[in-house]
Amino acid sequence: MSRQRLGFLRNSFTWWVAFLLLLIVSGLAAGILVFARGLQVTNLTDLVPWGLWIGIDLSSIALAAGAFSISAIVYLLKVKKLLPVAKTAVFLGLIGYTMAVLTLLLDIGRPDRFWHAMAYWNIHSPLWEVTMCVTLYLAVLTLEVTPIVGNSDIMQNRWPKMGRKMGSVHKLAPVLAVVGLCLSMMHQTSLGVTYGVIRARPAWDRSSLAVLFIVSAVAAGPAMVIFASHVAARMTSKAKINQDLLNTIAKYIGWVLIVYLFLRVWDLLYLSFSTDPGRGDSLFYLTQGPLAVNCWLGEMIIGIIIPIIILLVPHWRQNPRLQMLAAAMVVIGLILYRWDTNMVGQMVVFSYLPQATTPLFTSYLPSFVEIAAGLGVVAYGILAFTLGVRYLRVVDHTEVHEHETAQPMPVPMLSGD
Amino acid sequence: MGNQTLAGKTMKRRDFLKLSIAGLATTTIAATTMRNKASGPVGDSPHKWAMVIDQSKCNGCGYCVDACRACNDVAPDKAWTRLIAQEPEEERDVYLPVPCMQCADAPCVDICPVGASYYRPDGIVMMDYDKCIGCRYCELACPYHARSFNWKAFTEGNPAVPDWGQPEVARRPRGVVEKCAFCYQRIDRGLAMGLTPGVDEQATPACVVACPPGARVFGDLNDPESQVSQLLAGNCSYRLREDLGTEPRVYYLPVQAEEEAACHDNV
Repeated sequence: MSRQRLGFLRNSFTWWVAFLLLLIVSGLAAGILVFARGLQVTNLTDLVPWGLWIGIDLSSIALAAGAFSISAIVYLLKVKKLLPVAKTAVFLGLIGYTMAVLTLLLDIGRPDRFWHAMAYWNIHSPLWEVTMCVTLYLAVLTLEVTPIVGNSDIMQNRWPKMGRKMGSVHKLAPVLAVVGLCLSMMHQTSLGVTYGVIRARPAWDRSSLAVLFIVSAVAAGPAMVIFASHVAARMTSKAKINQDLLNTIAKYIGWVLIVYLFLRVWDLLYLSFSTDPGRGDSLFYLTQGPLAVNCWLGEMIIGIIIPIIILLVPHWRQNPRLQMLAAAMVVIGLILYRWDTNMVGQMVVFSYLPQATTPLFTSYLPSFVEIAAGLGVVAYGILAFTLGVRYLRVVDHTEVHEHETAQPMPVPMLSGD
Repeated sequence: MGNQTLAGKTMKRRDFLKLSIAGLATTTIAATTMRNKASGPVGDSPHKWAMVIDQSKCNGCGYCVDACRACNDVAPDKAWTRLIAQEPEEERDVYLPVPCMQCADAPCVDICPVGASYYRPDGIVMMDYDKCIGCRYCELACPYHARSFNWKAFTEGNPAVPDWGQPEVARRPRGVVEKCAFCYQRIDRGLAMGLTPGVDEQATPACVVACPPGARVFGDLNDPESQVSQLLAGNCSYRLREDLGTEPRVYYLPVQAEEEAACHDNV
């Protein structure tokens, strides 16, 4: 009797959720500390005002790019067979954007004024455009996830009427795919522009960042979908992957990575053609200084070159283990790219003093509170995915879909397992 | 469907069109007036304020920093105007006082996502502390590091008060970015009293008034007789990071100007 009652303790799922909840609680405590005492609890300064949280922000938005790219492939390029993967991508997208919003709330000095960008427009600011697009896209993602929740076993069993209504939002999917594509193209690019327009920081001041941000996101977003699907399938029988579908996406990532590699190398070479002393120092900082290991080993070799080889050699690509490894590497490479880009402009500050040609070098290491709050946000994302896999079946690539019927029929689920 | 209904429908459509046009016009007018109320278009003022800092006169006493701290109630951990020691020139100490440059093409105004940084009609770059969300993007964008973020609330007493003056503006809350605004409160009050900023002390920025050697000069660039216009017309001057195109309204007269007059040395 008591053994049965305590049986859940032998369940690894319980422990996994407990572990994540622990991180979330400590993150919450850190967040409350931030709201109570202000940003003095961080290691940010007036010269390095954007740190770890911005890194999490940029990464979670970029890694959510699978939602718009796979939706566009399914609904605009009409590759209907990828529809079940789009479900995973859209769910991960919603998680990514909510993570970004949570971190932003921590990061702004006046979280009570988060709505100001909606009310007071400055259309010249790339950050304003990003805020508007992120908010609108969050609404799109919510609508895209609504049918997934509506068609879940829980909704169908308990509130079948409500579930059917939510499921019928699926009819909007093609429209949402177009809107999502527009909004995503705009703000994924504008995140690069946000840095690119800052003439005061020589490491950033260039337009190529816009292109690099969107291309890297289009590669890493779907990689996140592949990685998360593989991990879920290994952890639980509730997640079912269709290797054939993932192979298709993996091949696409490989080709996007080649474009990304070309642009990345071109961008580095372009940085070196400059007489601006601050820019030369930034390049040095990135390629030979403290960020060199991140840049060459992390971003280039692990993040781009090895994944290209794995994903474009059919034999290796079709090996689930190698495919998962390559996807993880792309994800790591993207996080490092966002981190390095954010950091390098703040580490090398070109002086405004007359005749001064030596830049000011700054440093930053996140404080304990920043790390705890950041981990809390990441744990929230992982927990949301865990619960999504278990209760909403967001990783079920074996689903059968009937072809574009006009009927507002809920997507049939495979029952039983 | 008779003609009656059709005519009715047409009328309705026409009315609707008229209504929409009227509505659109009202909205546009309302929006324009509201914007004018918040901050009129730049150049709508007869004045164009500027500061000239003569480095050959600056002795690095730092009175400007203290006077600014008192009058603008700036916390001890930040400074709206800073004093930077430069390389000594011919055994003479050289200082660079740096307030907000009040750029005519200010990066902070361009990039503020909520428009909390804005131009006054007379060109002063202002901060709306009620709008600022504290994203600190402007701190990255300002080439002159003229901005400070309120990492914590400033609740203690101000060490510069009362020796250096009395606070004239409200303290900024925690979580917003703050900066020098050319003591707009002194300019506005002075103008209302019929005084001339740059001439009458009460109407002139606190740092200018406090400067013992008179290295800081303030005035109206639109007035050819003002001291700033005269100084700029008769001397070599430079501005910080002119290569960025920010068009600062703070001008510097370099130390060596008297003898070498190296105007081409401008930075």
